[in-house]
Amino acid sequence: MQVTIQTFIGGLSLGAIYALVAMGFSLVYRTMGLVNFAHGNVVMIGAYFASTFYLSAKLPFAAAMVIALVVTGLIGIVIERVLRPLENKDFDLMLIGTIGFGIVLEALAIIIWGATGRAVPSPVPGAPLDVFGIRIRTYDLVVLAIAAAATAVLVLFLQRTKRGAAMQAVAMDHQAATAVGIHVGRSNSIAFMIGAGLAALAGGLVGPLLYVSPAMGGTLGIKGFAAAILGGFGSIPGAIIGGLCIGVLDGFTAGHFQGYSELVTFLVFTVIIMVRPTGIFGERTVNRA
Amino acid sequence: MTTLVVDGLSVHYGGVCAAQDIGFTVAPGQSVGIIGANGAGKTSTLKALMGLVPRTVRSIRFGEHDLTRVPGRKMVRYGIGYVPEGRHVFPGLPVEKNLLLGAYSKPWKGATLDTLDEVYTLFPVLGEMRHRLAGALSGGQQQMLAIGRALMSAPRLMLLDEPSMGLSPKLVENIVAVLQKLNRDGLGILLVEQNAKLTFEVTTECLVMENGIVAMNGTSEQLREDPRVRQIYLGL
Amino acid sequence: MRYRVGGIALLGVAAWLLPYQLDSYAIHVVNVMLLYALLAIGLGLAMGIAGQINLAQVAFFGVGAYVTAILTTKSGWGFWAAAVVAILAAAAIGLLVGTPALRMQSHYLGIVTLGLALAFTNWVTNSHLAGGAEGITGIPRPQLPGVDLSSEYLFYYVELIVFAVALAFGIFVVRTPLGRRMRAMRDDALAAGAVGVEVPMLRMTAFLFAGVYGGIAGVLYAGLIRYVAPETFSIANMFLLLAMVIIGGRQSLVGCVIGAISLALVRELLVDYPTYAQVAYGSVVVLTVVFAPTGLAGLPRRVTGWLRRRGWLPGGAATAGALRPFQPYGQAPAPQAGPMLEVTGVSKHFRGLTALQDITLTVPAGQIRGIVGPNGSGKTTLFNVVSGLYKPSAGRVAIAGTDLTAARPYRLAQAGIARTFQNLRLFAALTVRENVLVALDRSRIRSIWRYAVWQVGVWRHDRELRRRADQILERFGLTDFADSLPGALPYGIQRRVEVARAMAATPRLLLLDEPAAGLNGEEVRQLAEIVRSIRGAGVTVVVIEHNMGLVMSLCDQVTVLSNGRIIADGEPARVAVDPHVIEAYLGDSTVIDVPAAEEATQATEVKL
Repeated sequence: MQVTIQTFIGGLSLGAIYALVAMGFSLVYRTMGLVNFAHGNVVMIGAYFASTFYLSAKLPFAAAMVIALVVTGLIGIVIERVLRPLENKDFDLMLIGTIGFGIVLEALAIIIWGATGRAVPSPVPGAPLDVFGIRIRTYDLVVLAIAAAATAVLVLFLQRTKRGAAMQAVAMDHQAATAVGIHVGRSNSIAFMIGAGLAALAGGLVGPLLYVSPAMGGTLGIKGFAAAILGGFGSIPGAIIGGLCIGVLDGFTAGHFQGYSELVTFLVFTVIIMVRPTGIFGERTVNRA
Repeated sequence: MTTLVVDGLSVHYGGVCAAQDIGFTVAPGQSVGIIGANGAGKTSTLKALMGLVPRTVRSIRFGEHDLTRVPGRKMVRYGIGYVPEGRHVFPGLPVEKNLLLGAYSKPWKGATLDTLDEVYTLFPVLGEMRHRLAGALSGGQQQMLAIGRALMSAPRLMLLDEPSMGLSPKLVENIVAVLQKLNRDGLGILLVEQNAKLTFEVTTECLVMENGIVAMNGTSEQLREDPRVRQIYLGL
Repeated sequence: MRYRVGGIALLGVAAWLLPYQLDSYAIHVVNVMLLYALLAIGLGLAMGIAGQINLAQVAFFGVGAYVTAILTTKSGWGFWAAAVVAILAAAAIGLLVGTPALRMQSHYLGIVTLGLALAFTNWVTNSHLAGGAEGITGIPRPQLPGVDLSSEYLFYYVELIVFAVALAFGIFVVRTPLGRRMRAMRDDALAAGAVGVEVPMLRMTAFLFAGVYGGIAGVLYAGLIRYVAPETFSIANMFLLLAMVIIGGRQSLVGCVIGAISLALVRELLVDYPTYAQVAYGSVVVLTVVFAPTGLAGLPRRVTGWLRRRGWLPGGAATAGALRPFQPYGQAPAPQAGPMLEVTGVSKHFRGLTALQDITLTVPAGQIRGIVGPNGSGKTTLFNVVSGLYKPSAGRVAIAGTDLTAARPYRLAQAGIARTFQNLRLFAALTVRENVLVALDRSRIRSIWRYAVWQVGVWRHDRELRRRADQILERFGLTDFADSLPGALPYGIQRRVEVARAMAATPRLLLLDEPAAGLNGEEVRQLAEIVRSIRGAGVTVVVIEHNMGLVMSLCDQVTVLSNGRIIADGEPARVAVDPHVIEAYLGDSTVIDVPAAEEATQATEVKL
């Protein structure tokens, strides 16, 4: 029982990170209908920047994180700008274009930081907390808290600010949004920037949990994407629940199936998505003739 | 004052000419209608005027401003409000957010909040439902919301595209009353409609479109009596 | 044609003589290159031809290689027996990975196939059976009587022959009915279903091909390297493969091969700087996608097109030629009396919105029925229900007495329904002739076995189809445009192509959704003539139309919809004076004096 709960909490903290990745995916998808396959690699770049400034420049973890956010935000803007001509035209080409960006980002990471990964020490030292005999890593709690805070900020931004409302309006009806005076291109650019920022946050946080390496983008990206689809693509609450589900599933499969955990996770995901392609919160879009 | 003068407006979609060489004038505070059957090119004309679809045009002037090269997203700043066909409210946002987005180009305080109150006075039902998601509103309420959203930018001229579509006769009468009131208060109106009766009640002058060109024009009074309108509609 | 045969022969000779020029390292590089080319053909068939995003190609490759390795080293099988099983296994895995394509497309399919590819690498890295991270060594060298396949020079010839056969077969598929249907499905799955293409089965076939090509490449890999390890089948290599196909041009198999060979060469040149190579090909993928989506294979056409536009090359408009007059169908004996289409109590709701409310109508065989009504009154929704694109919320649809409510679109097409679309849904990357051929082709997926064993039969069938297609094009006056892409033609001609395509399916019931939209007066007149002739040939026609002049002169009976309900039904002249109809259209029946019914009838006759 104790082990189960410990696994569950460990899974939740990893799940919170998947949720951040998934929210980035969802945000970009919702505003511009683009599935960013390079998102995982942006997470990886974020992880490297955060860890580099934290480890080498000895900056505080939070400051390193801010730098990572800014850099990835810029990367996000570049990706959006380059692929803008394809918006609302060819979905599959856009998808392949983002894969191209992913390839480039991964190679750049290898050139800058080398092919071997690095371990990042936890920024919050100290022994695990002991709550009723259940040992909880303090860093897990930090991750959960930061992820929750980031989600809250995002939701407040979308619901309380003019820019947030405009972004949602663009997502719902870009022509009507244009008619009320919203610059659709700029709005998309900002959405992409925020998505990339969320990726950097996830990357920075995941550093101490996993190993930072150029290849981490692939797995993290796909799991984050799986989380987004599981929750219902484009839905923020869906992304959170999907992320936590995949995280917990990951935690348990790692316990039960050891090395095969990824295999099991992806098979379970495939089966779920076959049964319910729209995810938990998703809406079926009507294909009109 | 601000007179809208459109000259030589054409729209082509992939080889099809949806509207050709359309020209008209809307005087300040005047109410002009464009009527015609489905597929006559009315909506294309309006969208092209708003800059929402690719167009060719000799000139568009609104008062002292030349709007020939102004992109769609900036039209609203010159005092032109737009109510799209099929309403196109933002379904996942609350009613109040929809209305405020109508005033996107203005700060959301002071005068804008006064305008919001005016819209709620004009459409009390929107005030009652201000926190409801726009997608959950009925068709008639969504139409009011779309009109309200356009009013939020405090326009001098409002373009409306088929506000009667899919509404019951009772609701159509409400819309007519609202448009007449707005027009009396000095708002210029360019109304695109299939519903000729509604248009004749609201407007003083009308264009009748057929196959992408202006087939007839005249005062609403004259056209009301003209049997050719009916021929154009029903193809007799 | 003669140049082409000569060119192929020359290439063949060059390929045959190539080993004499190469040292042992170079021949190894060439051998690996050919494997990539095989994989690229498989990926091109699934992604470029059938439009199914497939990011698991590298896993099919891996299945082929690993099954060969395991069966030969662990179970002591001979190489060729293991090879057969390996290819079958890869094909089976291909079908398995393809099943999600039945439910989802595009990015969903991308992520699922990528996830399954990751699952595969995860399995081989951990499985004891697959040798874990170290992989499997000591795969026995394949034996061929009299040939020493341990020599990479001789192995090259095995690969070359397999590659040539595989490429030829791929091109054969693309140019014959199966590939044509796949390309139609890629361009517009909805319209493909509406002309009778079995979309779900075809998607599976695409993955089957990808699996088989991957499996063959895997077997050859095991025979060539005689060692398998997980990193060969990594996601990085999947993306490399994807880059090859995209840069080469996914819609052309030859383009895929060129992409594979050139990228493999570049990679070889930059072998000391692999990451810089990666930056380069990643960037080229992005640039290709944005600026030249057809890849290298599409470049010649783009360049000539550009030169023509600038006036540096003669030729110019692809529409040289003229639309000829339609040749009427012969008068067929009147079809059996009785209803062709029966719609009973059909309703359709979209998330609370009622688009159709209790629609009941019967169209007798041999009638031309008009369906009219204001915008948003549910006309197209009704068509979509009848042609199987929507499932009705309630009610039944029967064709010639057979209940076909909510059958799949291709089933309905096979049952004799053909339709056109309001916004023209021609297959954009297929020529006019091919558009017609897809609809003509009644062969079913179960006859796919002929591709494996009786190619001559396929070829003969194709020749027969082409003959009939030319007849149809001739009848519709489209012969001059047979080889043009629809997008390059004037709108009026495109509309006619769509009618020709619908008629190629030899329907009993033809649904026309706003066939006159965008046509000028003369074209509308021709359309009326065509529709009358189609009816004369025994086909029942239902037409949605806004051009009331056309409706009045053409239709035997008119049904008027408003707000999802039928508000009037009857002869055109009667309907036109029905106060409900005038109210629906003009807002009020009292707007204009209603002329007497006789006058209206006279007016119609004058127009006729």
